Amino acid sequence: MSDQAFPNALPQVTALSIYKTMIRIEACDQRIQQLLAAGALQFQYYPCGGQEAIPASIAPLLNEGDQVVTTYRGVHDIVAKGTPMAEIIGEMMGKVNGTSKGKGGAMHLSDPNAGVMVTTGIVGAGMPIANGLALAAKLKGTGRVVVVNFGEGASNIGAFNESINMAALWDLPVVFLCQNNAYAEYTSFADSTRSKSIAGRAAGYGLVGETVDGTDPDAIHSAAKVAIERARSGKGPTLLECNAYRLQGHSFGSEEDHMDQEELAEARANPPIAKFRAALIDRGDATAADLDAIEADAKAEVEDAVEQSMAADMPSEDELYIDVFANTADVPYVGTPDNKAEPDLSDREVQTITMCQAITEALDLALEKDPDVFLLGEDIADPAGGVTKATVGLSTKHGEDRVRATPISEQAIIGAAIGASLSGMKPVPEIMINDFTMVCMDQIANHAAKLRYMSGGRTSVPITIRTVTAGNIGNFAAQHSQSLEAFFTHTPGIKVVAPSTAADAKGLLLAAIADPDPVMVIEPMRCYYVPAEVPEGYYEIPLGKAAVRREGKDVTLISYGWAAVEAAAAAEALAEDGIEAEVIDLRSLVPLDLSTCLESVKKTGRCVIAHAAVEFGGFGAELAAKLSEELHGELKAPIKRIGGSYTPVPFTPSLESLHFLNADKIKNVASQIAG
Amino acid sequence: MAKIMLKLPKLAVSMQEGTLREWFVESGTQVTLGQPIYALETEKTTVEVESPFEGTFTCIGEVGQTYKVGDPIAEIVQ
Ligand SMILES: Cc1ncc(C[n+]2csc(CCOP(=O)(O)OP(=O)(O)O)c2C)c(N)n1
Repeated sequence: MSDQAFPNALPQVTALSIYKTMIRIEACDQRIQQLLAAGALQFQYYPCGGQEAIPASIAPLLNEGDQVVTTYRGVHDIVAKGTPMAEIIGEMMGKVNGTSKGKGGAMHLSDPNAGVMVTTGIVGAGMPIANGLALAAKLKGTGRVVVVNFGEGASNIGAFNESINMAALWDLPVVFLCQNNAYAEYTSFADSTRSKSIAGRAAGYGLVGETVDGTDPDAIHSAAKVAIERARSGKGPTLLECNAYRLQGHSFGSEEDHMDQEELAEARANPPIAKFRAALIDRGDATAADLDAIEADAKAEVEDAVEQSMAADMPSEDELYIDVFANTADVPYVGTPDNKAEPDLSDREVQTITMCQAITEALDLALEKDPDVFLLGEDIADPAGGVTKATVGLSTKHGEDRVRATPISEQAIIGAAIGASLSGMKPVPEIMINDFTMVCMDQIANHAAKLRYMSGGRTSVPITIRTVTAGNIGNFAAQHSQSLEAFFTHTPGIKVVAPSTAADAKGLLLAAIADPDPVMVIEPMRCYYVPAEVPEGYYEIPLGKAAVRREGKDVTLISYGWAAVEAAAAAEALAEDGIEAEVIDLRSLVPLDLSTCLESVKKTGRCVIAHAAVEFGGFGAELAAKLSEELHGELKAPIKRIGGSYTPVPFTPSLESLHFLNADKIKNVASQIAG
Repeated sequence: MAKIMLKLPKLAVSMQEGTLREWFVESGTQVTLGQPIYALETEKTTVEVESPFEGTFTCIGEVGQTYKVGDPIAEIVQ
């Protein structure tokens, strides 16, 4: 109807479907605020008023298989993508009918059934993950497109830079959708950047950028159409900025004084929904009565969702530990890791290779075994083969798609791995040195570790992060020598593995890759190039099973990583003095083989816990406390710890040797309690 | 029959408490969605709190009393 008089107008069917989505969004958003205002609900809510047209106008362009990533202010994106209303409202009420059984809440709705893969409360963090979803689409040839929503404020976060650069470099099928609502909390656009627009930044990264009026469905739809077609046809990403003024404060109940009052009044006088309603009537696409009927339907739909959710239960007590890991038995102290038995490798051929070569072999076997496995990291492709040489030959053999060298972008690396894993792949990202994991801590700790729980088990992140600790190999100093495992053991949802032998490094890595949860494998460079016996072929060493390296009756030495080698040497020295030490190599800290430790310390009555990491606040403190609690009264001496001194790792050998433990120091501590 | 507890709403991020100033409906009456039910005085202003459901209304709070955010104020039985 609208063709001649309104040359830019959408076809009537599309226009009405967009209007209907806008109305459904508004009905949901308004009803939630009404419940909050009356005290029937209480939580932190970020309204989407003013931004309804953006996802509504894009929705008709997306297929069911296409995916969306959004933020805390994302209810409009989620309604538009097709998540059932009752699951949205149920989640906001913390009920079992919600998208995440009430465990994620309003800020973390995820609904993979509708393609809503992640809703994050961390500004800017969705972009690296969207790249991963898009990378999986590209590698698997699914033709899927990913739309990632974020605010203009988020465009000043590092993850934005890393993500648009990587997406452009790899031609990923992703649309970076900046919903520019003019304010980031209390800060206006003008106060946060000298950029005239966010889309203008695209040129510097080699992708297309465009800005449109985010209150105009015709404009949004036509710009998004080009962007989505570009992505779908393999021509890469677009940075699409939709300007739509925020019609209220940052969150429900927050002040508006900081907003330009004239602008706000003007925007409120002409909100996108009213504007589009008038246009539809004007164009002859619908009568007022038609549109009233749409509004009534939307209200009824929301009311039905509210009723269902009010009637639903809150999750019961037994839900607390469910969805931390795929198997609740892996949760420390809650379960006993019910792992498969140690593999019988007695009839395997044995080769003498280094830990580094054993790791290369494990990666090669994993790539061969499972087409969903791929590696990514800085410099990992040939001819470099990684700075530690752990990936030498792999890109030549398996191709650069599956052994993927990346820009120096740790957040984008981990995000890409997370996103691809959400689509069912098994990525193995490498973070060159343990210290650099701090650069991407948000992706690891706030996302990889939490997505299974926040989604109530609807999504999972089976990634294996490989990283090297260069502690005590001489001269690597304060920022390349740390053992940061305690950061990760303190983060529920990620497993932590620390091998000390080449054979374990291979088998643990293969088990980690096969594992359904995120695993961080910390490889000790101190042991990296020492030749040792390694069984041939594929085998997994189960996570959560400690190795008793030596039996003894007088004292238990518990350790892991390169410190376990020192502990074993200490035990030999103690034996010369007539002290029989039992040596336990934990191999994995989460899941934790507590029973092997308890059994041993019960027998010996004495225990020294030794680790390379700083002693103060280290993993040894946790283990010592737990063993003391469990074995109080049976101990013959206080449990002792030995770790790094409370100093950054010093460069000069005279101080570095004071910082780190060694066999002698472990022996001395053990002698004090067992001598 | 669902019972819905209405608690003192948090209308501003910094809001900790509020004072019930006036009831607009009596216990035992039917309220409709959106009907003003009581006046709530906060640090900044006085607002009319609207019923979020229809149903039979019961007052719990007392006029003149100051309540903490989250304290029960009224109940609606559907
Ligand atoms: C990394 C991080 N820093 C700060 C915050 C606190 N915070 C929440 S929303 C927000 C403003 C974000 O603005 P913008 O990206 O423009 O999105 P909008 O809220 O306008 O949708 C801030 C600073 C956060 N959640 N995450």
